[in-house]
Amino acid sequence: MPETKLIAEVFDKDWVKVEVLIGEKSMTIGKETLDFRAISDLELTQHAKKECIRIKAGRDIFINFGEKQKSVFRYLAFNMKSDKFAVYFLSPAIRGGVLVSDSKWEKGYFSITESAVWFLSPEKQIRIPLSSLGSVSMDKRTVGEKQRLVLAITHMDEKEVVTSFILCPETTLELLQGYLKRILEQQKPKERLSELEEQILTMVYTGLDSASIESILGIKTDDLNKIYDKFVSLGIARIVKVRKEIELTPKGVAIVSESAKKLGGGRSG
Amino acid sequence: MVRVLIVDDTAFMRKLLKNILFSAGFDIAGEAENGKQAVELYKQLKPDIVTMDIVMPEMNGIEALKEIKKIDPNAKVVMCTAVGQEQMMKMAIKLGAKGYIVKPFQAPKVIEELKKVARI
Repeated sequence: MPETKLIAEVFDKDWVKVEVLIGEKSMTIGKETLDFRAISDLELTQHAKKECIRIKAGRDIFINFGEKQKSVFRYLAFNMKSDKFAVYFLSPAIRGGVLVSDSKWEKGYFSITESAVWFLSPEKQIRIPLSSLGSVSMDKRTVGEKQRLVLAITHMDEKEVVTSFILCPETTLELLQGYLKRILEQQKPKERLSELEEQILTMVYTGLDSASIESILGIKTDDLNKIYDKFVSLGIARIVKVRKEIELTPKGVAIVSESAKKLGGGRSG
Repeated sequence: MVRVLIVDDTAFMRKLLKNILFSAGFDIAGEAENGKQAVELYKQLKPDIVTMDIVMPEMNGIEALKEIKKIDPNAKVVMCTAVGQEQMMKMAIKLGAKGYIVKPFQAPKVIEELKKVARI
């Protein structure tokens, strides 16, 4: 990107218009100059009702570049402080258990920042927060009619498991696998789950509701609730809805009785 | 109503698929816990679709697929596998599998894939 002058909005108690000068190694936001090497991470987000870029540089800077948002984001993603490895990647390869048919191998970088890993190419800048990583393993895939060793990474994206593949020299693959495994090890719950608990976790992921889970596994609501509480305390699930169980009052029973009469109205029995 | 034969060696996975498909309006024609049983049930039940696990005892999903295709070359079999079984999957597609789902899966995706295969 040649030196570019833009008008953006920075959030400082409220959105304030500011002139931004983007250069080769730094950007000037108003009077403040920010070296790209000082940016430890960034993400496209929403803040104070606006789409913007959150720049992590010691503190969080929320900045909205309007229609230039994507191109600035891409430029910063390639230039911020990170460890970048030249790779070929296929992301997303599988989403929610189904092959993503229009995804193709791209030449780019696997980039590691303070709190995320990235797939970077001119077309895609996919940020995966470290907390969203699910698993990492070596796999053999056919790439360009050849059997190649690749790294399979799964992560959560909008409640779906997404699998991506990385292809690069084997020594780099091993290095990346080692790094990602260490991250995953740190995130593992401290307690092992029982077979039943793992089954419940799978069912929740699949999209089954509590009533279906109880019916399939033949367990009681209270027992399921206890397991849900354990999941929450281990940080592997969060509560989104509290279910209510009710019983009818005499008034309620009276309505049901009336309703039954109506239903049986035209019939002899 | 589309009739489905579910083939998986784990009872849990069969129950899970049964629940997902039944809720989506599919009719569960039957269940089999290995390839051998699947071939027998296919002959008897003539389902519209088979969801077929790959790694199973007695007869694996690939062998069962071959046998089912011998009985009915138009059989619609959707393979069900885990990440890391690409070669098996490729073989299954070559042998005539109509689609595949990868574990862990999500209900809407499974339904979408089966509807695609069933051409609903």
